[in-house]
Amino acid sequence: MNMAAETKNTNKTPQTDTPTATLTEATDAVEPRTSHSSLASTLATVLTFALILGGGFIANRIYTPPEISLSERRPLATMPKLNWGTLSDGTFAADFDKFAADSFIGREQLRALKAWTVLYPFAELDKSGLYLGDSGAGRFQNLDTDSARKVAEKIARVTTGYLSGLNVYWGFVPDKSIYAGRYLPGFDPAAATAAMTPVLGSAGFVDLTDTLNANSFYRTDLHWSQPWLRPTVERLAERMGFEMVWPGGSLVDSTAKLPPSAGDFQGVYPGQLALEMDDDQMLYLPLPESITTHYFDTKTLTWVEGATYDEAEFASDDPYSFFLRGPQALIRIENPDAPNDKELFLFRDSFSSSLAPLLATSYRQITLIDLRYIDIRLVPDYIEFTPGSDALFLYSSQILNSQSVLLVP
Amino acid sequence: MLFSSVPFLYWFLPLTLAVYFITPLPASGTTRWRNLVLLVASFIFYAWGEPIYVALMAAEVVALWGIGLLLARATTVRAKRGWVGTAVVIAIGVLGYFKYADFFINSFNTAFGLSIPLLRIALPIGISFYTFQMLSYIFDLSAERVTVQRNVLDFATYVVLFPQLVAGPIVRYSDVAAQLSTRSHTLQRFADGATRFTVGLAKKVLIANTIAELATIVAASDERTFLSAWLWVVAFSLQIYFDFSGYSDMAIGIGTMLGFDFPENFNYPYIALSITDFWRRWHMSLSSWFRDYVYIPLGGSRVKPIRHFGNIFAVWALTGFWHGADWRFIAWGLYFGVVLVIEKYAFGGRLLRLPAALAHIYTLLLICIGWVLFEIAGFGNAAALLGRMVGIGTAGLAGAESLYYLRSYAVLLTLGVLGATPLPRWIGERIAAWRIGSFTPSAVLRPIALALLLLLVTAFLVDGSFNPFIYFRF
Repeated sequence: MNMAAETKNTNKTPQTDTPTATLTEATDAVEPRTSHSSLASTLATVLTFALILGGGFIANRIYTPPEISLSERRPLATMPKLNWGTLSDGTFAADFDKFAADSFIGREQLRALKAWTVLYPFAELDKSGLYLGDSGAGRFQNLDTDSARKVAEKIARVTTGYLSGLNVYWGFVPDKSIYAGRYLPGFDPAAATAAMTPVLGSAGFVDLTDTLNANSFYRTDLHWSQPWLRPTVERLAERMGFEMVWPGGSLVDSTAKLPPSAGDFQGVYPGQLALEMDDDQMLYLPLPESITTHYFDTKTLTWVEGATYDEAEFASDDPYSFFLRGPQALIRIENPDAPNDKELFLFRDSFSSSLAPLLATSYRQITLIDLRYIDIRLVPDYIEFTPGSDALFLYSSQILNSQSVLLVP
Repeated sequence: MLFSSVPFLYWFLPLTLAVYFITPLPASGTTRWRNLVLLVASFIFYAWGEPIYVALMAAEVVALWGIGLLLARATTVRAKRGWVGTAVVIAIGVLGYFKYADFFINSFNTAFGLSIPLLRIALPIGISFYTFQMLSYIFDLSAERVTVQRNVLDFATYVVLFPQLVAGPIVRYSDVAAQLSTRSHTLQRFADGATRFTVGLAKKVLIANTIAELATIVAASDERTFLSAWLWVVAFSLQIYFDFSGYSDMAIGIGTMLGFDFPENFNYPYIALSITDFWRRWHMSLSSWFRDYVYIPLGGSRVKPIRHFGNIFAVWALTGFWHGADWRFIAWGLYFGVVLVIEKYAFGGRLLRLPAALAHIYTLLLICIGWVLFEIAGFGNAAALLGRMVGIGTAGLAGAESLYYLRSYAVLLTLGVLGATPLPRWIGERIAAWRIGSFTPSAVLRPIALALLLLLVTAFLVDGSFNPFIYFRF
């Protein structure tokens, strides 16, 4: 390469037929405009910029952020530890990014501003999968068919390994988004059925899809509302062959009651959406006093009696824990006045917390097993699967989409 | 560190600007102390995400600065060539090792059925940009278009200047040589820079990031319809434009605040009437770099046609390769090389005689095809997507999902399309020229708009927006 020649060449008049032809004439179209700016405008612009960024810096140094976000129900990121290890591998920078965002002054209001901008001026139909419609808020849950199939395989392994001689049934709770009347069905029950049936067969399948509608779910939460579950219990009774005893009559309005604090609550979605919504009411159906509930204490490995409907839990950060105290590995509900001597083993997630009390009036004993909190291999140490009993696997779309949470090897 | 992040906006930038402007300017007007502030800030900025590569960058800077001194002292062509060659070997060698080593090993393994283990080296952020900046200095020094920089701190400040360090525009030494020693700091410049920065930030956070969600959703969807194919192409085309041009606006804006004039990088590329025109408007600092330092030294067009073709394809293959160590980027570059040759030799001036609407459609269609080649991994996947764009291999015209997302993103896509034209600028100029008696509404509207945009951007960042940045990987 002759650099001298190149030098000479490139000092000539620039060629205009370069690979992209000349680039020289197209560089001023986005040049900042200055001629019309008055001094006042200039000063105001500089001050605004300085006040927002500089003021933001100072305000955030003074502000003490909360440790948890009540609206999102999660701990907020804290200042990461700075040392050579975290600095050199980039984790300090990554964690600091989260801390800076989580600890920002006025974060809740800013989240609300974003949600409003996305859903109204931008007119998006959802915010990162969260939608707000006539029937309330929800989150689209596209079905992961591979995960659903693996859930079926885990159910099959539990059935084969532990439930010999039991009448086994299975079903799933369709996502509320399919009842929302929106353009995008988030969770396709037919696809879920098609993914699981080849593994589990159709004999024990209980299809709950048409027993639910938009009113079956809280407007602000993903869960279903207990008093509206009569068609669901009827379907279970019909398919599983038990005699249904509905707790407290047939009319929702005349039988449902509110917790003492009037039952007003906000589910998970207003916090996730960062938008205000009208309160939901946590109606529940009272049970006969003869029905007792025992919770398995995983620390003492003993069964402890407790309330089926726990008013203290209603006042907690997760009001839905009012039903059977929220996340629990094992629960036993006993009904000495049951119309039969049958037992039910309910492999479940949080949806069954409000469903199980409705089944308690029909069974002598119900044992709820949440395999997210106890490994199936440990379960026989604490409960006995009685041959001739019923077993029902009932999981929501969230579990079908995240099979790894089920502790089944 | 990303410009579009809370740590940058509410920690790094205010602190850096405060220290920078508090640092006094000596009576001589020299900006040496402020350069030192910028240098330290730039190293912190770079070390935020890449602490281990700071030393690499610093070593390269010192090496090429030293070669610059030796080059300036060289009196013979042979000596100059030697020092330029040394600089190229060092800069391209480092770039090649960190960015392209695994590509060559992989290609070698595939070609010869070998299994040489990959090095799996993390790519130093911005290496493609700062390598080209340093080389421009060496080439211009060799050609005596610039004078030698004897102060290593000033040279380092030029190379690592944080606004343009990781994603351009590719600033040549000649662009800022004078400003490294003396530059103007005025309220007017600061206000214009702050405005430009905020507009770029809004383009990136409010439009690019949001439309990126659409592109990601559609790409991950199982739906294989005609509409979903086009939805992805349009979304990605807008995402990459607002992403990269927004970042360039931010860089230029910060540069303006600090007293620098960086070159423009975009000029409404999607209103181009031909691909030739498009490349005059897209990533202009890269195009001009290849033009001046590769194409023209190869002889440009002043050679026999066959050699001219070779020059064009060499430049475009390199342009593609610069974007990434993958055959698809080379294919993307060559694709544009072919189109440009056809436009020049087959179409001649006929494109100019087409009605503007037809020329627009032609250009946008070819740009869209280019983005498919650019972004879709695997030639088979790219071909399948291109097929769906013309109705081949589709599962129908549209599906529930694509219709839903078309409806959901209709406003943003419309904003994106209009925002990619000079319309916003035209509206801005009308507002600026608006007078009510002696009152100029824009004097009030400008800071209000700036405040609103900053507030909205902050809201989007605080809530954990999807925040990818395509050009960081280059």
